[in-house]
Amino acid sequence: MGFPKRTVVKLTSLSRLLLLVGFVGCLLVVEQHVRSAGTPTQDPKPDDNFAKVVQPFFVNNCFACHDEDLQTANLDLSQFKSTASLVKERATMKLILDKLKSGEMPPPQTPRPKPEELHAVIDWLSGQLGQAPKPTATPATTSEDPMHVTVRRLNRTEYDNTVRDLLGVDLHLSENFPQDDSGYGFDNIGDVLSLSPVLMEKYLAAAEKISRTAVFGVDTMKPTLIRLRTGDRAQPPQFTPLTDYDLSGLSLPNAIHTTYRFPVDADYVIRATLGGVRPPGSAAFQLALWVDGVQTQTVQVDPATLASFALPSEPQELWSVKQEFKVKMTAGDHWIAVSVPHLYEGLPASYNGPNPSTRPVPPPRQFRPPPDLTPKEIEERRKEFEKKRAEKIPANGARVSSLELGGPYAQSKGTSLESQKKIYACGHLNGHHTSSCARLNLERLAHRAYRRPIGPKEIAPLLLLFQEVQKETNSFDEATAVAIQAMLVSPQFLFRFERGRTATTPKLTPHELASRLSYFLWSSMPDDALLEAADKNKLSTQAQIAAQVKRMLLDPKATALIDNFGGQWLQVRKLESVKPDSKRFPDFDEYLRLSMSRETEMFFANIMHEDRSILDFIDADYSFLNERLARFYNVPNVQGPGFRKVVFSQDAHRGGLLGQASVLTISSYANRTSPVIRGRWVLENLVGSPPPPPPPDVPNLDEAKIGKTSSMREQLEQHRKNAVCASCHSRMDPLGFGLENFDAIGGWRVKDGDFVIDPSGTLPDGRTFSGPQGLKDVLKLAPNAFTDTLTRKLMIYALGRGLESADDEAVKSIVKNVTADNYRFSSVILGIVNSEPFQKRRGASSK
Amino acid sequence: MIISGKRLPRRTFLKGMGTVLALPLLDAMVPAFARTPIDAKAPVRLAFAYVPNGIVMKDWTPKTLGQGFELTRILKPLESLRNDFFIVSNLDSNTGNALGDGPGDHARAGASFLTGVHCRKTAGADIRGGISVDQVAATSLKSVTRFPSLELGCEDSRTVGDCDSGYSCAYTNSLSWRTPQTPMPPEVNPRAAFERLFGSAEDLNLDPQTRARRLKYRKSILDFVRDDTQALVKTLGPADRRKLDEYMFSVREVEQRIQSAENDTRKVPPPIDKPTGIPFEFPEYVKLMCDLQVLAFQTDLTRVVTLVIAREGSNRVYPEIGISDPHHPLTHHRNNPEWIEKVTRINTLHIELFAYLLQRLKATPEGDSNLLDNSMIMYGSGIADGNSHTHEALPVLLAGRGGGSLKPGQHLSAKVGTPITNLYLSLLDRMDVHQDNLGDSTGRFDQV
Repeated sequence: MGFPKRTVVKLTSLSRLLLLVGFVGCLLVVEQHVRSAGTPTQDPKPDDNFAKVVQPFFVNNCFACHDEDLQTANLDLSQFKSTASLVKERATMKLILDKLKSGEMPPPQTPRPKPEELHAVIDWLSGQLGQAPKPTATPATTSEDPMHVTVRRLNRTEYDNTVRDLLGVDLHLSENFPQDDSGYGFDNIGDVLSLSPVLMEKYLAAAEKISRTAVFGVDTMKPTLIRLRTGDRAQPPQFTPLTDYDLSGLSLPNAIHTTYRFPVDADYVIRATLGGVRPPGSAAFQLALWVDGVQTQTVQVDPATLASFALPSEPQELWSVKQEFKVKMTAGDHWIAVSVPHLYEGLPASYNGPNPSTRPVPPPRQFRPPPDLTPKEIEERRKEFEKKRAEKIPANGARVSSLELGGPYAQSKGTSLESQKKIYACGHLNGHHTSSCARLNLERLAHRAYRRPIGPKEIAPLLLLFQEVQKETNSFDEATAVAIQAMLVSPQFLFRFERGRTATTPKLTPHELASRLSYFLWSSMPDDALLEAADKNKLSTQAQIAAQVKRMLLDPKATALIDNFGGQWLQVRKLESVKPDSKRFPDFDEYLRLSMSRETEMFFANIMHEDRSILDFIDADYSFLNERLARFYNVPNVQGPGFRKVVFSQDAHRGGLLGQASVLTISSYANRTSPVIRGRWVLENLVGSPPPPPPPDVPNLDEAKIGKTSSMREQLEQHRKNAVCASCHSRMDPLGFGLENFDAIGGWRVKDGDFVIDPSGTLPDGRTFSGPQGLKDVLKLAPNAFTDTLTRKLMIYALGRGLESADDEAVKSIVKNVTADNYRFSSVILGIVNSEPFQKRRGASSK
Repeated sequence: MIISGKRLPRRTFLKGMGTVLALPLLDAMVPAFARTPIDAKAPVRLAFAYVPNGIVMKDWTPKTLGQGFELTRILKPLESLRNDFFIVSNLDSNTGNALGDGPGDHARAGASFLTGVHCRKTAGADIRGGISVDQVAATSLKSVTRFPSLELGCEDSRTVGDCDSGYSCAYTNSLSWRTPQTPMPPEVNPRAAFERLFGSAEDLNLDPQTRARRLKYRKSILDFVRDDTQALVKTLGPADRRKLDEYMFSVREVEQRIQSAENDTRKVPPPIDKPTGIPFEFPEYVKLMCDLQVLAFQTDLTRVVTLVIAREGSNRVYPEIGISDPHHPLTHHRNNPEWIEKVTRINTLHIELFAYLLQRLKATPEGDSNLLDNSMIMYGSGIADGNSHTHEALPVLLAGRGGGSLKPGQHLSAKVGTPITNLYLSLLDRMDVHQDNLGDSTGRFDQV
């Protein structure tokens, strides 16, 4: 059995939002009704009004959809043959009552029931609900408090981060672990994080590698050569040099971008293979290497000096010209790009481009027929030659066609100072460790690895292991490494246990609280300052906690909150894997993909760092752009790959999440927009009232017609003529229509195919709006719905579990405080960390 | 948590010194396999390949039963293998149906396909599926091969976000379930799968003594954490205890694995170069995973493999064959011929890739026969018609001769209402694993 309670609760919390969209999470309740079927109930009073009033009403008004055959929304009203049978299904009754009262059912396109019949049914249902038994409080399957947070295994990100902070080793070994499953939209949910034998095997191997790296330094890797990326963007030939273009070359299809995780600090060779053709007589051109958006090297390429170069009069062929860059890289992810800057410069003067070539105009190419040809053949060849000579060479031909990476070379050796500091408590004196050092080292390491105070008895087994190894290998370091390896596979490291202060006190210990804080804000272990605060019991007052939170949010490690919470809340993690149709969106490339996610990250970071209003997520007059995005958004005067804050003009259509290409792309299909998905995205992530998933066998849009014989809107309106569909689509589609001016990768458009876009929407309550700004204005009218949604999402993420009815009070009071505090970001975070569910192992309402 | 003066078991320090070692730590210097299957009958292998979102059945099901059936459009790529497989029609996975749980057919289809169990509807708390057929086989083989089973996948789930209708992503990510609470998430990175089978570069470079020592320490460490865990368990509530049980279960499995690696002293050099990562092109990606599966069988590192070609509900686009619409929405085609055509092409591509696997197996000799003849490779989907999410009369293909125990080359049809798990019981019999039931089974399907 599931959790009937949870689903009902969700409804109550949403009821506030009905104003906006007028919806009751019908399917959720229906599920609940099915699940609660087995719960014992008392017999209702006999009441023959059911047969007289209710049943006929169902037959006449509801069976068209909710009968045994159709069971629309999984609801079969024909199964209720008596008062008793219906009264058992309390949630269903409540659902029916809500739907009838709100007028949402029967759906708008169907005949209205007579008012007196309707009222009779409403009265009957209300009456029965008054006397029907309350749903049983505890679900049958869990013997534990539903507020209980199941012990959480570190997920892949948390594992890597914790290892990094514990030992100063940043190997990202979790890449090799099986994927973490997610629940409630996040991948840090204790109940879902399972541990398969494969994972155990990998933990054991990773622990060995990590501990040895920490103690002895990074293993020497054999250099390899791998292909990083091939240019995949179509490059339409341009015969007239452009004057307004990205001088860095990064935005142009001529460049290649990629991100790569460099395994170790070392030298690497990046080899660019070029392609394309430059007109004869062109000057040498530059090739630039960019690392993380900074131009680090340029090199001059002059086809005229290459061995393969034919004659000055021939076009400058660049195929398979290779250019190598030697770079020193630090381990970790880096964005690498190679571009042709100033693409339209250095062309022959005849092209009329900027900074033309000063090379003499090459003589026209001469026709040299091969010998032994008949005059007729020669004539044909000549024609062919002249035709070819007349063809103009494009001005934008030079390009990078693929990137390869060789390395690592000259890898830095030995253990890092940082690792030494973290491991050796009495200072690292090679070969001079005293025996007491071992205990000291292990105590300090275990304290940090297990994130709590360690008793002497707990050190004993570790020390024993240490001593065995030391005896056998005669090496203090070997023994240290094995002891660390053991800690890293201990359940105390891999899981976060919470037991509360004593068996009877639900309040978390200071150390448990410290871990909750650090895994919430950093996806990692507490740092020394936080651990010390816990050790000294300085995490008890709100002021003490607030001071820590403030410090932590400003720490660079807080980007984890943006990446892991933000990436999953907004679903922008999907950007990594979207593949927009390259025929329809030739503009989309790796640079745009990276720039899109960077915008959203920086936007989120700015709200966090400047402690701005969370309503900026809905609407703001600023964002963070580089030249690539600015050109994509048609925002002038932004040059170069660096991101900066840009304040939008009135007519920019951007600002807020709904103007960001990242969000607009992940809520689209590869080849077209979907007002349905976008509408659902808004409901789910900004309004907190997701519609139920569609029933199987729903009519689909006629894809082939969209943009050709009918507009997307017409197609969807057709769809909504079906009353069943309308019940949900009347909530989703209008919101999506408001965003139709953005194409499937977030570019602005006024037409979709042959049809001028109509960006207006009518909400279920009759209000109308138009375009993104109109939509944002509507959303801004319900700031609490958004605050409630964000709070709930953050809370699920912070607690590692789904929310329960007992959490409602806490959410309500946080929302109230956030409102009073001008919706400041920190007030949401502080509200959560100071809430009962966060501070206690069990909720206040638990037995 | 307190470990009250308990001593670390010494047995692991006393034993194992100087033994020749293998495990994932392998010796690249040894040029050939130590064991060739001449001594005994070649082992029977069992594998499952999964494709999501149903199949266009009219272009899948052959018109006639028995031998000599005409290959349908989707099956065409299997032309050269036509005597090496069965089509088994009419098998059901009824447990994939809603049965009162509402939407979520994709999650249920994946979770029930190999288990025959109706999974619990939950987004997180209390996930519960069933034990899958491959894991039943794996459990019986765990002291025989180095790896009881291998789970491979060709779709990363990290960026998926929300999964099907109130079901945790665990249900769509994993076909294979070790226990009702422990899904076995597939390995999606060919490099990691390779390293698991053949050892990482670092392992391969170690001298035998060092490797022996490291392995011994791993065992000591497992002893250490076992004691650690036992003390810990007493202090925890039921849900936490369940998580620790899972942990202990995995610790034991790994111990057994180390044990069987010690018994199995063969040195298996990696027969191919280590893959660098996930290939750009989907067909290349799947083929690489197939190669790894063939290698794992060939070297007898495992006898049980599951391969998730794409996860249930997959939204993958197939630009390689000119399809830029995501797979799942396409399958809700509402009988639009253009969409059905695209789905058919995706179905056909999948079979082409599966044919590659079969061809590779067939081309790998083993004793007097070949790997395919010694295998049972099932291919199918937990949904028949993707448009209406049916879980009855599923597309099921069974290839190989199971070491001579199968007579492929036929189109069979089960009695209406036969659970697919009946077929699984019959396959398990051929692995010498005899059990009375599996999930919703009602008997055996012995026509194969």
